[in-house]
This record gives sequence, structure tokens and C-alpha cells, in this order.
Amino acid sequence: MNTLITVSLLGIAAMLSEVFRFKKFIQTVFIAAVTGATGLAVLDWGTSYSYFRFMVLFDDYALAFSILFLVLTLIWLLLSQEYFCNENTRADYFALISFSLAGAIILSSFSDLSMFFIGIEILSVSAYVLAGSNRSDIRSAEAALKYFLPGAFSTGFLLFGMALIYGATGSFNLSNISLWIIANHSNLPVMVNAGVVFLITGLLFKIAAMPFHNWAPDVYDGSPTPVTAYMSTIIKAASFAAFYRLFVSCFSIMADWWTPLLVIAAAITMIGGNITAVYQNNLKRMLAYSSIAHSGYLLLAVAAINQLSKPAMLFYLAAYSVASLGMFTLVNRMGNEQQLDKLKGFAHDNPFYAALITLLTLSMAGIPPLAGFFGKYYVFLSSIRSDLIWPVIVAVIASLIGVYYYFRIVYNMYSKPAASAHVVSLSGFDKSAILITALLTLLLGIAPALIADII
Amino acid sequence: MGESAILVLIISAVVFSAGGILAGKLLVKSKPSKVKSEAYECGVQTIGKSWVQFNVGYYLFALIFLIFDVELVFLYPWAVAAKQLGWVALIEVIIFLFILFLGFLYAHKKGALRWM
Amino acid sequence: MNILQTIPLNHYIMLSALLFSIGAMGVLLRRNAIILLMCVELMLNAVNLLFAAFSVHHADGGGQVMVIFIMTVAAAEVAVGLAIIVMMFRKAGTTDINLFDTLKW
Repeated sequence: MNTLITVSLLGIAAMLSEVFRFKKFIQTVFIAAVTGATGLAVLDWGTSYSYFRFMVLFDDYALAFSILFLVLTLIWLLLSQEYFCNENTRADYFALISFSLAGAIILSSFSDLSMFFIGIEILSVSAYVLAGSNRSDIRSAEAALKYFLPGAFSTGFLLFGMALIYGATGSFNLSNISLWIIANHSNLPVMVNAGVVFLITGLLFKIAAMPFHNWAPDVYDGSPTPVTAYMSTIIKAASFAAFYRLFVSCFSIMADWWTPLLVIAAAITMIGGNITAVYQNNLKRMLAYSSIAHSGYLLLAVAAINQLSKPAMLFYLAAYSVASLGMFTLVNRMGNEQQLDKLKGFAHDNPFYAALITLLTLSMAGIPPLAGFFGKYYVFLSSIRSDLIWPVIVAVIASLIGVYYYFRIVYNMYSKPAASAHVVSLSGFDKSAILITALLTLLLGIAPALIADII
Repeated sequence: MGESAILVLIISAVVFSAGGILAGKLLVKSKPSKVKSEAYECGVQTIGKSWVQFNVGYYLFALIFLIFDVELVFLYPWAVAAKQLGWVALIEVIIFLFILFLGFLYAHKKGALRWM
Repeated sequence: MNILQTIPLNHYIMLSALLFSIGAMGVLLRRNAIILLMCVELMLNAVNLLFAAFSVHHADGGGQVMVIFIMTVAAAEVAVGLAIIVMMFRKAGTTDINLFDTLKW
């Protein structure tokens, strides 16, 4: 709870820095407050308090995800230094980032449908603005529009689902809904089933799973690269945290009925995302499709819905987000020329950092001793425990396709540069971002229990 | 009473409005002329097209108005039960308005309220 | 009693489902960004109607509180959405979403 209050106050402070002229220090304030909020979340560990008349519940699940969001934001700051250069807009961007973080924390801790709605809206409305934050570029404006329209549309679906659930059960509280569904399990009204379908549709839109993924590649491509990195890591993690929390605490009793929907969506997403990524020549777009494909694996963890899927999801999200932040550092430095062949000669100039990026790529592809492998391993383990055998086979095939295009990145980095090509060069912050993400990837790969065993 | 009343209301509304138009069509001889189609009594002929673009400044004001206006909907439930809720709720409402005020300060500082 | 409460709950559900479908079809079929925004609002208001009806049905105030939240959040969303559409209109000179193709779809 203290974490949430700190982050919300940070957003207001960032806005006030515009009024009271302490804009120069806002980055320091931001880092201090986010670090402080992380500390507060760690201090609350092991407690499970409910606040605001059972509107939010800060259990270990909520705290673990809050810490994940905050730590990822700190790493993200390293790669987005130039994004905050402009004096005029710096305070706005920090305010929007803080507000969306507050939304993310609400999404990991809600215990009431109305908080779920408010969290998802705080998160998305800030993200719409961030997507369009590069005002000189028409691509950014278009990305914002293409993010906004499906986002608002899917909000309608989520709300309709909530209304039907409320109509059937007469409560917004997750545990009351769950109790009602357990009590009336033998003859559930159709309204509950319809509500679940609406909720799933809305959430699949939000996490950009196929067949509702059409908006994602364009939005990821058009937004400023730091914002893309933010969207594909923290916002995605928050959406999944909410997805799992909602379904495990309300509808786990009727899991037989809705898991097939999720499993089918997961299978299409994994195969479709990976195959489309193979055909991309633009690194940023390739990462967008790879992010869609990773949603598929995560959906599998949600569909498995057993003891193992909670740690599997947390670990997968941590491993994927860390590696992805490292990759986006590279994309950010490529500027507007994000073609894969612009990477040629990179390894020749920066052999050490090219090796680190290779490490990150291998982790995303799921090669054994790295974090990404254990993420996939835990997801598959929890799916098999729930007897989802064929989806795991599909997932393995999809990962094999994935390996191909991840190796294209490595291949391009290590091939010889064209004669007069401009080779990408890294700044000090970029180097530290890549170093930190690579070290975390190695650490999580060597000792996966660090994260997997805590919840 | 009940549903039949609504039915009677709907039917009489349709008959009354459609009947007027129909009677006009049937009884009046149509003889259009330029003078008849002019705007009269409450307007003058427009100069140029009537589809004009308004200054974007209006639009900015409208957006800010919209946000601050709609936030006030939260005050209605409080106002209805203000007496029962007592001092604590009053303080909470003041905090809420204070945060809105901070937002207003921010909008002012960003120049959103300056006429362009 | 009030005449509104003599109308069975099913009628409210059907009406709001109908409104919701009209809004959803509008979003899927129309091509003007402003009209899309209006259709999204129609969807949200259909949900508001449903919440209000269920709130009366269950004699529980929660649904009406939710309506207030939806109204304010929708206003914020519309403000952001309109700003984005105006920005796009200034750059592209149109609000037809089929003509926005600087990013390949």
C-alpha cells in the first residue's frame, strides 16, 4: 500500500515540478522515490493486508509484481536518458510514467472488479499519451491513434463482462464472486459464462494475443523506442498480472470451461507471432512480433492455472522483460534506421557488448543455461501438470521457429559491414543498461530459484 | 396503468407528429420561391460557407472544462449523504479537490489556459 | 411503485446488449475516427445502463458507484482520444482511419 501511495504522490510531484520549478531535480526525485517504493514493498513482504474496504489486497503476489515493475523501471531509465532530455516535456513524461506505474501496481493488487477497471484505465490512458509523445513525428501520432482505438474498444468489452458478472453475482468483490460461483457451480446462469467470454476478449486485446493482435506491431513500431520498451515490458507484465489474478481468484472453479479458449488463443499466438517475426527485416518490428509470441507462452501459464503457474509467470515475465530491455537499448541507439542489416559490423566495433547482446538474444530464444530457458521450462512444467500436452508440443515447435529469427540478429551483428555504412555506437548509459540486463539474465539462469521460489 | 399507458403515449406521439406533417403535405399547395427559403426573423444570410473551422483554442478549453466538470460528479454522492458521513468525508473531499486544484495549477503553468 | 421497476430485468439486459452491439458494429464498420470515438462511448453507456439496472435489481449501491467511475474515466479517455485525433488531423489532414498508413498495417 505504501508503495502505491509513494508512486502516486511521485506522479503529482512530477507535475508540480513544472509549477514550482524544480524540474532539474525531477530525475533524482524519481529515482529516489522508485527505489524507496521498492524498499517499502520489500518491507511489507510476508504480510497480506487489505485496504480501502477490501478494494486492494497486498499479498506476496502483489508485492512481487510491484517490485518487478519498479526494478524494471529503474533499468528502463538507463536506456531512455535521451527521451528525458527536452526540458519542456521532461516533467510530463515523468508524471505519465509514474501514473502508469501506479496503474500497474493497482493491477497486481486489486481485489475488487472496480479497482481492476480503474487500474487498467490509469495504465492505458497514460500509455496512449506516451505512445504519441514524439510530436514532430507523424508515425508517433498514428501509433497513438492505433493504440487508443483498440484500447478503448477493448475497455468496452471488459466493462460489459464485468457488468454481466456483477449482474449474476451481485458483488464486485473477487472473493464474494468466487464464493457465489462455488455455491452455484452446478447450474451457473449463462450470464456468468458470457461475462467470462467478454472479459477474456477484452484482456486478449490488451495483451495483444492473436487473433486480437493487429494493433500491436504498428503501435510498437511507431512509438518512440523507449516507450515501446516500456510497453512491451512493464505494461505487458502488468496486464498479465491482472489477467492471472482475476481468473485465479474468481473463476478457477469453472476452469474446465474457459481454459480451452485460452489454450487455443495461446497456440495461435505462439505459432503466428513467431512465423510473422521470421519475415520482418526491421529489428523493432521483429521484436514487436516476438513480444506477441511471448504473450502466447504466458497465456499458456495462465491457462494451466495450478500451483506452478504463478511462479512460472513471474519468472517468465522477469526473464523476458530484462532481456527485452537490453535488446531495446540497441534498437534505441539505431535511431530511425532499424533495418537488421544496419547492425552489420557492430560486433567488430564493440566485441564485448555484441557478446552480451548475443547472450540476451539467446535468452529470449530459450537456450539452456540462461533465464529465458528456465522461464519456458517452468511454463511447460505447469502446463504438463494440468494435462495440457498438445499445447506444450506446439510451444516447443514455435520456440524452434523463434530460434531462427533470433539467430538472424546475431548473424547480422557478426557479419562484415558494408563499405560506407554507419555503425551503431553505444553511450555510457546504454553500455551499463546492456551490462546490467545481461548480468541479470545470467544470474536468473544460474539461480532460477531466486525468483521462482518466492511466491 | 403501466405498460398500456406507455403504449398509448407512444401511439399518440406518433399520430400527433406524423399527422401534422401528413396534413401539411396533403392540404398545402407547394409553390417554392427564393424569398420563402431565406432565413427570416432569427438570422441573416451567412457570408461564405457555414462550415467554418473554429479556433483550436476553444477546443483546448473544452477539453480542460470537460475533465474538471466531470470530476465533480464524485461530489454528488457525497453531497447526498454529507450529514451522515460527517467530518471525515468532508476532509476527504477537500483532499480530492486539492488534488484537482494541483492539476489545474499544472494546466495553467503549461499555458493551456492562455488564449492562442 | 415507480413504473421503471415494473419493467422486467431482461428488457434492460436486451436493450443494453442491443446498444452495445450497435456501438461495437459502429467501431468495426465506420472509418471516421470521431465517429469511432462516439461508438465507443455508446458501448460504455450501454454498460452504464446495465450496471444501473443490476444495481436496482440487487438493491446494492455498488453498481451506481461503478457508473460514476465509468463516466469520469470515459471523460478522461475521450479527452486523450480527441487530442490524439486532432494531432493526427493536423498532420495527415483527415480523420479517415483507412488513410493512415505511414505504418504498414
